[in-house]
Amino acid sequence: MAATSTRAQALTQHQQARRRRLRRGGRRTLIAYAFLAPALILYVMFVVRPMFELFGMSFFTWNGVSPTRDFVGLDNFSRLFADSLFWKSFRNNLVFVVLLVAFNVIVGLITASALARAPRGRLLFQLIFFLPVVQASIVTALVWKWIYQPDGLLNRLLEVVGLGFVTRGWLGDPDTALPALALAAAWSGFGLSVVIFLAGIQGIDQTLYDAAKVDGANVRQMFFNVTVPQLRPVVTVVFLLEMIGAFQTFDIIWATTRGGPISSTEVLATYMFKRGFTEAQFGYGAAVAVTLMIVVLTAALVSLFVRERNED
Amino acid sequence: MVAFTTTAPPARASALTRFRRRRGGMVGLYVYLTVVAAFSLLPLLLAWMTAFKDRAQVVSNPYGFPNPPVIDNLQEAWTSGRFSQYFMSSVIISVTSVLAMVVIAPLAGYGLARMRFWGRGVVITALLIGLTIPITAIILPLYSVMRELNLLDTYASVVITHVAIGAPFFAFIMRAFFLRLPAALEDAARVDGCSELRLFWSVMLPLVRPGVFTVALLEFLWTWNNLILPLVFLTSENVRTLPVGMLLLTGRFATDYGLLSAAVLILSFPVVILFLTFQRNFLEGLASGAVKG
Repeated sequence: MAATSTRAQALTQHQQARRRRLRRGGRRTLIAYAFLAPALILYVMFVVRPMFELFGMSFFTWNGVSPTRDFVGLDNFSRLFADSLFWKSFRNNLVFVVLLVAFNVIVGLITASALARAPRGRLLFQLIFFLPVVQASIVTALVWKWIYQPDGLLNRLLEVVGLGFVTRGWLGDPDTALPALALAAAWSGFGLSVVIFLAGIQGIDQTLYDAAKVDGANVRQMFFNVTVPQLRPVVTVVFLLEMIGAFQTFDIIWATTRGGPISSTEVLATYMFKRGFTEAQFGYGAAVAVTLMIVVLTAALVSLFVRERNED
Repeated sequence: MVAFTTTAPPARASALTRFRRRRGGMVGLYVYLTVVAAFSLLPLLLAWMTAFKDRAQVVSNPYGFPNPPVIDNLQEAWTSGRFSQYFMSSVIISVTSVLAMVVIAPLAGYGLARMRFWGRGVVITALLIGLTIPITAIILPLYSVMRELNLLDTYASVVITHVAIGAPFFAFIMRAFFLRLPAALEDAARVDGCSELRLFWSVMLPLVRPGVFTVALLEFLWTWNNLILPLVFLTSENVRTLPVGMLLLTGRFATDYGLLSAAVLILSFPVVILFLTFQRNFLEGLASGAVKG
């Protein structure tokens, strides 16, 4: 009798404690969401909801203003996949991304490792490399537009070094416009990758370099056998970040060539903008944006996955 | 092999060549760095210098220093080019966005860093995805959202979108700062009967001031430089921002290099000053944010 009553007491005590804990947990959850509310509400209303609406929009034809929209199912996508201009934009976008990322990863890594060995002026060089990073993309666009002009700085330099025969209007030539713009975009992101790489290099265990030196390794060997393998996680992160950024490129192209000449610099974002806003085909523009979104999110998920794995 | 060792130069000479080679290496290193620095700096320098040249100088002396420097271009851009007006619009949008962000980001970062709550994993994953959603991809639905809310052509449309899109990134930056604080702080404050809000406001927030400052700087940089949001949302002249004004200028006066350079200078001067003054916050903030985000 006494035993059961104490057991019952213990049980109710246990239940009460659990209930208290839950209540406290519930209170903690409420407080936490109160702290998160402003950010979460804005984020859900103006990022998450539009993202879902984008997918919805791509199943309709709509001019963006009329109160009615016609459901057309997957029509926009079947039109899109038969649209040679879409595929050209896609291909241009890939080329643009590859050129930009290759430049910033390769030249960025070489420059960062040179900077790491420089005994003096490291901060000054970092500041100089970083100046383009803080410029507006419209500034980058304008400055490089001048450089690439027929009477611009690039042609002048080429003449000086005796390469006068390759001079041209770099953005007016369909063969050179895309790589020229990729270089301009790389210029604006270059400093960031140098700074990230430099931070990574300074985190490398110095004894590895000392050991390599004892073994008689030269600078080049140390770069390929110590720096590059040690930096692999950082290189992966920079690679994916630059790629995600480059896929969304809009400003630099819109402010210089608007996708021309003869669509040689058309990328997904500019194509989406033209179809959506300029021609008021919101449904079709949304279908282009959906492909852009899927490409970027895939790259992002891969980057998250790789980073998680590196952190383990 | 044997011949090689016997003809090896004496140790002294070898030390000398090593010294020479090392010095040669250093010279090569600095030559390389200078070339890359020129690549980074010259395009900007060219534009900034051109801003101080009149029309005749732009033609006769396109690559030299302005001689004498004139401010006609700046005056023209500022007054008849309406850049004073664009400047004000840009200031209003950027400052409002910064003020909103320095309230929202620390709150969210604190919640993420110091609290265990139901649904935490889902929230963090959702915000992580938000770090990578491209503005350009959701600009069409955003436009129709702003149209439904009757916010087109108002500063609010741009500010709200800036803050909403930046919120995940800055929440994670603030979270990183809050994570560094010792847990003992909270326990001590709780024992003293401190409320959650006071704990946040009086104990934790003062300790992450550098983080809040970094958030403010980066949010200013991004809103100041952003082109696509004001381009899409703001159509009337009196709310136009500097980057949009410049885009229109490039279309209308494509060859007036002096005027366009003045526009470049007006747009980039504030961020360059901020960057040079607070280098560490920019370098570390952007680099760490990039690596973490």
